[in-house]
Amino acid sequence: MTEPRTPAQPRTPQAPAGQRLRSAVAATRHQKEWFQTVRQRAAAGEPIALVNADAPHEVFRALDIPYVVTQWWSSIIAAKQAGPASMDRLAAGGLPDFSLQYDAMPLGEQDLPAEDRPWGGLPAPRFAVAERSGDVTAKIFEQWGNRPGTETFLLSRTGADPVPDRWWELVPHQWEQAFGTERLDLLEGEIQDLIAWLEERTGRTMDYGRLAEIMALGNEQAEWNRRTRDLIATTRPTPVLVNDTMPAVMAPQWQRGTQWAVDAARSLYEETAERVDRQVAVCPGERKRLMWVGRGLWSDLGLYTRFQEEFGAVFVWSMYLAIAADGYLRYGDDPVRALAARFVGITDQLYVPPWSSQWYVKEALTHGVDGVVHLVADDTPGSGFITEALEAEGIPVLEIRANNADQRSSSAARIPERIAEFIRRRV
Amino acid sequence: MRIGVVGADVPRQVVLACGAVPVRILGSWTGAVSQEATELLGAADAVAARVLDEILSGDHDELAGLVVCNDSMADLRVYYVLRILDERGRVPFPVHLLDAPRGGGAHRRRFVSHQYERLAAFVSGVTGQQVDATSLAEAAAREAKLGQALEAVQGRRRERVLSGTTALTAYRAAAQLSPEDAWERIGELVRSAAEPVELDEPAELAGARVPVYLTGSSHPDATVYAALEAAGAVVVGEDHDAGDAAWIGDAVNAATLEEACAQLADRHTARPPAAARSLSSERTEHLLAETERCGAAGVVALVRDLDDGPVWDLAEYRPALASRDLWLAEQLRVPAGGVQDATAGIIRALQRNVNRKDAL
Ligand code: SF4
Ligand code: SF4
Repeated sequence: MTEPRTPAQPRTPQAPAGQRLRSAVAATRHQKEWFQTVRQRAAAGEPIALVNADAPHEVFRALDIPYVVTQWWSSIIAAKQAGPASMDRLAAGGLPDFSLQYDAMPLGEQDLPAEDRPWGGLPAPRFAVAERSGDVTAKIFEQWGNRPGTETFLLSRTGADPVPDRWWELVPHQWEQAFGTERLDLLEGEIQDLIAWLEERTGRTMDYGRLAEIMALGNEQAEWNRRTRDLIATTRPTPVLVNDTMPAVMAPQWQRGTQWAVDAARSLYEETAERVDRQVAVCPGERKRLMWVGRGLWSDLGLYTRFQEEFGAVFVWSMYLAIAADGYLRYGDDPVRALAARFVGITDQLYVPPWSSQWYVKEALTHGVDGVVHLVADDTPGSGFITEALEAEGIPVLEIRANNADQRSSSAARIPERIAEFIRRRV
Repeated sequence: MRIGVVGADVPRQVVLACGAVPVRILGSWTGAVSQEATELLGAADAVAARVLDEILSGDHDELAGLVVCNDSMADLRVYYVLRILDERGRVPFPVHLLDAPRGGGAHRRRFVSHQYERLAAFVSGVTGQQVDATSLAEAAAREAKLGQALEAVQGRRRERVLSGTTALTAYRAAAQLSPEDAWERIGELVRSAAEPVELDEPAELAGARVPVYLTGSSHPDATVYAALEAAGAVVVGEDHDAGDAAWIGDAVNAATLEEACAQLADRHTARPPAAARSLSSERTEHLLAETERCGAAGVVALVRDLDDGPVWDLAEYRPALASRDLWLAEQLRVPAGGVQDATAGIIRALQRNVNRKDAL
C-alpha cells in the first residue's frame, strides 16, 4: 500500500462550494440526451429493451439493441415526482403498489398520461429481461410480457454458495473459484439461450468478437474506476465529494461497454488526479474521515457535507465508486463465460455476508476511515455482521435504520443529529 | 438420524437413501419474533423469522444437519445467516444450501440435478451412509408407501369426510416423522375422520359446508384452517407447500445416485408452481385446475406481510376466478401478530359471499 498523499503545507485550496465535478455534470447531461436517442430509435421502429441492473446488458449492446435499466429509470421517475402516480396506475390494474417499487415503477409509468411522463416516457420495450431475484422480480417482468408488443425473458438467480474469502481478489481472473463452476454453467447456458432468443426475434446475428470487445471496454472502464478509487483512498484531505462520484460513476455504468463510458471513467480519474495535483480539497481542515455504508441518501445529499464545518468530518467513501472499481472486472477469452461471471453474483458481492462485511472492512482500512455511518437496509440479510466486522477492526460504526429514498423516514430517524453525536462521542 | 429441512424443495428419497429422515421445520403463525431474528433477516416473512428463532434457541438441537432451500427470499436469508452463525458455533449441526431454481429447461435441470448430488454428499457426510441401488430402492419403497397414505387423505378429503385441518395435520406428520411413523399417524387420522368437525357458530353457515380452496402464503400450522372450519367452511384443497403442494411421496427407480438425481430434477419441474418462485400465469392455471378438482365454491387468499410473491398473482386470479363464478376472499399484508384478525376478516367475507350466492 502506498503512503497517504498529504499536502506539504496547509495551503490547500478548498473546492469552491457548489463547484461540482465536471465529470458528474457531463455524465448526468449525457444520460438525458442518450435517453432521447433511445426514444427516437424506438419511434423509428427499432426494438428496445428494458433490463434489470443485474442482467447481462452486454448482450444487448453487442446486438445493438438499445436498453434502459429498470432501476435507473425508476430513479428518474422518482426524481421527476412521478413515482406515486406510477404506483397508483399499478394499483388501478390490481397489482400491489407496496412491493419492490424500484422494479415495479416503470410498469406503472407506461400508463401515465403523456404529459405526466418523465422525459417523454419510456417507449414500450420490445424485450423485458431480468434475473429471477427475490420472490417477485420474475412476476413483475411477467407483467411486461403481458403488454402488447413486449416479450419477457427470465434468467436464473442462484444463491451465493460458495463464498470464498476476499472475493475482490478472485473475481477478475479466478471467477470459477469465486462463484463455483455449476452456477456459472447455468448462467452461461441461459445467456446463450437469451442470445438465440434475441437473434431469432431481431434477425440479427451475435458477433462474438464484438461481444469480446464490449467486455474489454467494460474492464477498461472498471480499471479507471479502480485508479480513481485507489487515488481517493490514499489522498488526504479528500479531493472529491461522494455526492459527485455517485452520478459520475453510475451514469457510465449504464453505458458500460461503450467508448463513451470508458472516457467518462477516465475523465473522472483525470479530474480527480488534477485536483490532487493542485491540492484541492473538499474540506482542507479535514480531521475525520467517514465512510457511508449502504445506499445513497438521495433525498438529502446535503447531508454528506454537513459535518465539515463543525467537525472537519468528511465522507470519503460510498459504495458506488468502490463497487464500480471492484465488482465488474472479468478477464477471459470466452466472452460469454466472462459475462456470466460478471453477473452471476454481482449483487452477492455487496449484499451477502460474509462477502459484504469482508469487503467493507477492506475498503474502510484502505481509505483510513475514522468512523462509519451504516444505513441499514432491511432488504438485505445480516447487516449486523457488517457493523460487527468493522467494529472488530476498531472502527466505530453508527447504525441508522431508514429507507434511503424516503424523506420522511430519514428525518424521523434524526440522521443529522445522530451523526453529529456519533462524531462527537465516538470518532 | 434426522436432517432438518427449511423450505419445500428437498427430494426426500435422496435423504432417506443416505440413511436420514428429513424433518421439515415449518415455524408457526403465532408467537413472538425476536429482535435478533428481525435484525438478522431484515424485512422478511415472520414465519421465516420464527423458524430462525426456533433454531437459534435450541429447539432443534437434536438434528444431525440442516438443509435450507432457496425456495423463497426469506428462506435464502435464513441460510445466509445460519451459514455464518454455524461457523461461529451458534448451531450444533452443519448447514447446507439446496438451490433448485424453477422454470425448467435443460440448463436448470442439470444444475438442479447437481444440487441433488451435492445434497446427497452432505447427508452422507453426516450419516456415513453412501447411496447405492439398494438404498435408493428402499427409500423409494418407503416414500411411495407414504405417498399412498397421502393419496388416501386426498381421497377422503374429496369425499368431504376429512377436514382440511386434519389433512394439514397429515401433511405435517408426513413432513416431520419417519415414513413409517407418518404412515401410522396418517392411518389413524383417516380412520378417525368419520367424526364430524366441530362447529362454533352453526347458525351462520349451517346446512351445507362451504368448500373453500386456500391460496396465498404457506400455512406452517392449522391455525387458520381450524378457525375457518369452525365457522362452517371446509378447506378442500390448497396450493401451498405445507399442504397439497408439498413434495412428499414422489420417488424414482434408479440404479445410481446420478440417475436418481437426474430423474428427480425432472420431477421437480412438474411440481405445482410455488408462490415465491413461479409465474402468475402458471399459478393461475394451477389454481383453476385445482379449484375444479376440489369442487371449491371460492378461494381464500391470506398473504403475510413481506411475503410478496402471492400478492402479484392476485391481479390474474381475480378475473380468472370470476369467470368461473368462484368468489375470492383476500387478506393481504397480514402482520406478524395479525392472523386472528385476518382470519376473522376472511370469515366475514365468506359469510357475505355465501349469502350473496343464496340470494341468486
Ligand atoms: S447501484 Fe445498488 S441500488 Fe442501484 S441498481 Fe445497482 S444494486 Fe441496485
Ligand atoms: S474545516 Fe471547515 S472551514 Fe476548514 S475547510 Fe473544512 S469546512 Fe471549510
